[in-house]
Amino acid sequence: MNPSRRNPLISMLWDWIGVVPFFVFITAFLIFPSLNLFSGAFKDANGNFTFTNLNFFTDSYVIKSYITSLQVSVITSVVGGIFGFMVAYAIVLGRTPRWMRNILTTFSGLAANFGGVPLAFSFIATLGRTGFITAILKNICYNGADGSAVCPFNPYDNGFNLYSLLGIVLAYTYFQFPLMVLTITPALQGLKRDWREASENLGASSTYYWMNVALPILWPSILGAMILLFGSAFGAFATAQALTGGSLALVTILIGQQIRGDVLGNPNEGYALALGMVVIMAFTIAGYTLLKRRTARWLKV
Amino acid sequence: MKKLFKIDVWAWFWGILALLYFFLPMYGTLDFSLRMQKGQISFLAYQTVLADPQFMESFRYSVIMGLISVSLSVILFVPTVYWIYLKLPNLRPVMEAITLLPFIIPVIVYVFGLIRTFSGPPFELTLTPFKTDILITAGYIVLSMPFMFRAIDVGMRAIDVRTLTEAAQSLGSNWFQVLFDVIFPNLRVAILSGALISFALVMGELILGDFLVRPALGPYMVLVGRDHAYEPAALAIISYALTWVCLGLIMYFSRGKNTQQLTGR
Amino acid sequence: MSFLKLTNVYKLFTEIPAVEDFNLEAEQGEFISFLGPSGCGKTTTLRMVAGFEMPSSGQITISGKDLTYVPPNKRNVGMVFQSYALFPNMTVAENIGYGLKASGKPKAEIKQRVEEMLELIHLGNLGARFPSQLSGGQQQRVALARALAIRPQVLLLDEPLSALDAKIRVELRQEIRRIQQQLGITTIYVTHDQEEALSLSDRVVVMSQGRIEQVGTPAEIYTTPSTEFVARFVGQINLLPIHVVDQPAGLVKVGQQPVRTSRSVNYSDEKALRLAIRPEELNPGHREDANNLTGVVETVTYLGSIVRIRVLIEGNSVLMDLFNERRLRLPAVGESFELNFDTDACWLL
Repeated sequence: MNPSRRNPLISMLWDWIGVVPFFVFITAFLIFPSLNLFSGAFKDANGNFTFTNLNFFTDSYVIKSYITSLQVSVITSVVGGIFGFMVAYAIVLGRTPRWMRNILTTFSGLAANFGGVPLAFSFIATLGRTGFITAILKNICYNGADGSAVCPFNPYDNGFNLYSLLGIVLAYTYFQFPLMVLTITPALQGLKRDWREASENLGASSTYYWMNVALPILWPSILGAMILLFGSAFGAFATAQALTGGSLALVTILIGQQIRGDVLGNPNEGYALALGMVVIMAFTIAGYTLLKRRTARWLKV
Repeated sequence: MKKLFKIDVWAWFWGILALLYFFLPMYGTLDFSLRMQKGQISFLAYQTVLADPQFMESFRYSVIMGLISVSLSVILFVPTVYWIYLKLPNLRPVMEAITLLPFIIPVIVYVFGLIRTFSGPPFELTLTPFKTDILITAGYIVLSMPFMFRAIDVGMRAIDVRTLTEAAQSLGSNWFQVLFDVIFPNLRVAILSGALISFALVMGELILGDFLVRPALGPYMVLVGRDHAYEPAALAIISYALTWVCLGLIMYFSRGKNTQQLTGR
Repeated sequence: MSFLKLTNVYKLFTEIPAVEDFNLEAEQGEFISFLGPSGCGKTTTLRMVAGFEMPSSGQITISGKDLTYVPPNKRNVGMVFQSYALFPNMTVAENIGYGLKASGKPKAEIKQRVEEMLELIHLGNLGARFPSQLSGGQQQRVALARALAIRPQVLLLDEPLSALDAKIRVELRQEIRRIQQQLGITTIYVTHDQEEALSLSDRVVVMSQGRIEQVGTPAEIYTTPSTEFVARFVGQINLLPIHVVDQPAGLVKVGQQPVRTSRSVNYSDEKALRLAIRPEELNPGHREDANNLTGVVETVTYLGSIVRIRVLIEGNSVLMDLFNERRLRLPAVGESFELNFDTDACWLL
């Protein structure tokens, strides 16, 4: 069959036929449930349209869960982001030996994929009450004035608790900073050596170069990477669940309880809870897009 | 001469800090997992875990589900991406955006939507274990989509799909032969990378198995973590080893290629 | 006293010498080119003057001040990079003012200097553009203006035109020379393009494998190359094996055909001796008061303004370039052919 003789409409339909299975699948198992979630947030138990589910957001424990989730996400994406950026710097621009750069790169690839339940177990084994680092710190003792042993470094005597916000932040950082390393490395590699040299040549200090050239150029990439970190922390469930057994009320944990039906009340409030997360993610990405456009006018040619 | 041998203290500092952050929890876990027997190093925790019939069952379940969903994912994605490269290149950004959605929508939110949509009438996909497994498989495919698409996309970009196809067709191949004799072999590494990372993801997945109440490895680990001290550490090591093997295989197969595709991000 | 001075400069990269025993003295306002193939050490030498590389040994001074180990941002040496290296996040004006702003000059002064520079490069109306909105040639001019804005003692240009189209290259070449002479700034220009080096420079430094082959004015480099490398690298050259017949009289033979030379040449190393002559010095036909050689036409190549004829003389291919004038009668391939050249047009290498 000569394609040029075909009816153009049929020929166009024919071009699309190969992607039908994919779009059917996506529509059924991604788009449809998402839309359903959206509409469910505005329905009452009988399926009638309502805004009352949104009143749910005035409940103090809901607000608190969102604040906690945002706290965890912002802290880990900023801490993990800065830490990861520094490590990427050490890999790409630092004068470190080859073996070190190789190990750091390889482990970033691995650790960014470590997460979930096993990661929680690792931190319990390391920083839990009987964890290996806790044990070391606990056993740093000396004899006090009255002859009894004083052990000032036991973290659990100093207000540390792994099964808390701080513990979650420590655990999340384990996959956050490698994720940053992976996402920011290409951008750092894109910094031309010539820029740095041109800057030095014009009499500028290293700090001046970083403030006026390197960071402004990297800024959109850094922001983008941090958004990714924010999203990965905001949506994380397994690590928090396994670490705190659900005692730390993150939004994800709350949604999990809604699914199980542990929380009494209107099931449609679960939809609202979930929708709230999507809205926050959407705002974050929109904000990023806007900020990127403003900080990087030069990207538009 | 002066500057040549200056050590980059700044880079070393962050590098060593990162290495400590990487290795200390790993070491802690390993150390813990070997201390089940008081006062001596032993593999007792591992033996206990491996002897637990529930572990074997959930491990088997996750492996089977992993294999099934990864295979289906490959079958779904390779022809689609191929078709888009060949006929609808303008659709590629759209597809990329769609496949990135699981990074934007939190997994728990997605699973919540999935369960609420398909558990009630008219679908009732959670009524029997078999139907639930269909739903879980679909979920796994969606969750691994960003990695699978990225891997295949990178692979496709590396080969000139259109020229290869035209060359094969001019030599008399039909569509199936083009796909199976030309495209698949050239994408072997890409498909394998996508498959392995997706498989690792399924093996560690908690939320789908947990909330759809199927005996997957993730929920089993949570269960063990709740009541035991040493076995969880052993389980974590086993789980890391699994991820290691999967990612190690990818690195092995894609030697010399851009390792950026590893995580698909 | 010379303005810019490099004395016994060596550079080793992990034991492999990149630059060996480099000595050069440049006067104030002089335009000097480093010419050579890639990897000859010309860029490394330039980068040592800029301070991006430390010499393994030797000394670099500018107006008597030792700069050998001074960091690049304390040297006040302007450099134009091959890739332009414009900062993509800054406008043209911000790029040009970068060095002044970094050294904390007052705003008004920066503004005035930037305008001056924009005027100098004839881009007065493009100050608010971003580099990505400029053509390659315009970007190159901005890079030049940026390097000059800090009033450097020396201007360094690293293959500044290699990324541009042939036509713009010629245009910018003249522009660079104009600006350089207008400001009277001492300039080092690195290039692998002999035409650029010859047309721009007061003096040319020809380099090969980390060593200086020859230093001289463009005319000296072209008409009396001191080594075979220079002869071959700069322009076309015919090199014919000879044997000496009468040393004091300067009489040699190419095969059986006698050739008289006028230059005094060191005859000590006889076996390496060859007769060197440029293709354009050869003329068709026989002339009594000149050297004459006879051979067979191998090929005739039409190059537009020039016609290149290859003649086989005593087993050697000899190239002859003729201006493509209408009255020119082109020989046929395989024809017997006689050519002549002046006794002082050839020399022994």
